[in-house]
Amino acid sequence: MVLADLGRTASADLTNMQLSATSELERAIRTDVAALAGDFEALVRFYRPKVFRFALASLRDVDAAETVTQDCFLRAYQARERFRQDCSLHTWLMQIAVNLIRDHARNRRLQFWLRASLTAKPVDGAGHTIADRGRSPEAQALLQEQVAAIWAAAGRLPEKQRTVFLLRFVEDMDLLEIAVATGMKEGTVKTHLFRALRAVRERIGETV
Amino acid sequence: MIAHLSSEQLAECILGQPSLIVARHVQDCTACRAELARFREALGEFRGAVRAWSQDQADAALSIPASLPQPRFPAASRQLAWALLMAAVCIVASFVLPWRGGEKASSDAVLLNRVDAQVSRTAPASMEPLMKLVVQE
Repeated sequence: MVLADLGRTASADLTNMQLSATSELERAIRTDVAALAGDFEALVRFYRPKVFRFALASLRDVDAAETVTQDCFLRAYQARERFRQDCSLHTWLMQIAVNLIRDHARNRRLQFWLRASLTAKPVDGAGHTIADRGRSPEAQALLQEQVAAIWAAAGRLPEKQRTVFLLRFVEDMDLLEIAVATGMKEGTVKTHLFRALRAVRERIGETV
Repeated sequence: MIAHLSSEQLAECILGQPSLIVARHVQDCTACRAELARFREALGEFRGAVRAWSQDQADAALSIPASLPQPRFPAASRQLAWALLMAAVCIVASFVLPWRGGEKASSDAVLLNRVDAQVSRTAPASMEPLMKLVVQE
């Protein structure tokens, strides 16, 4: 019974995801075409939420994520003539974002006192809000715990593992795109993902 | 035939790259299939939760009014205020210090006059009445 429920939910989710993915892909293609024709504003409008989301999930600091997002588009604008189109604009922007986030995290480690500054707005995280899809209260509570456990585990992952984990499971990028964005080999990306998934699963196991 | 899926094998399935043996095991083993479905569902919900939360944060950041009230002494103004204060102190000091110096100089002059008066005397003060007698003679 539970398995059948899971199957139905997964099937409905899959259909919704496929539909939204198709429209998302169409929008991405239209944006890329416009951006390559010189419409940089279209690029910012479409990709800004994605870059901000990745930066926020990585750094967990709204101010820092906004700074990284602005820097990302500034650098992209300055380097737009050098974009060789050997990867998608999304992957290229994520590549810039990954480097900026890494630099930012290093600076933050060196200047740890900045974390205590009044302007920084650290956030509680995404582990407390999941969509209600008509599950039983028990199933909803269990899932919520699991999502919170994944969020906590992701925060404790080493930098590279966290980066590939978020790119794969939040940004839906495939292994090759992640390899380009992070400058790693595809095999290395896979190794980091395996380790990240193991850590996350262990953390989920602790909650069940 | 394998026992139950290891973490690596489960990860292979999650990443959509299971080996033939693993794929066959998932097909046959109800427990592993359920475990895989649970993990997939949790990861899917995690994605949705992060996206919704990020959207909330972005909306909250945008909803902050563009014209925030400025602090009365922002950092640059505070530095300017300190500079002005120091300049004022210097100006006041430039008036006060020479006056004190002048007072000291005038007291020095009085002392020097007294010394001059003492030195210019031909005889000590206690013998001055005798000196009058000598002059009279």
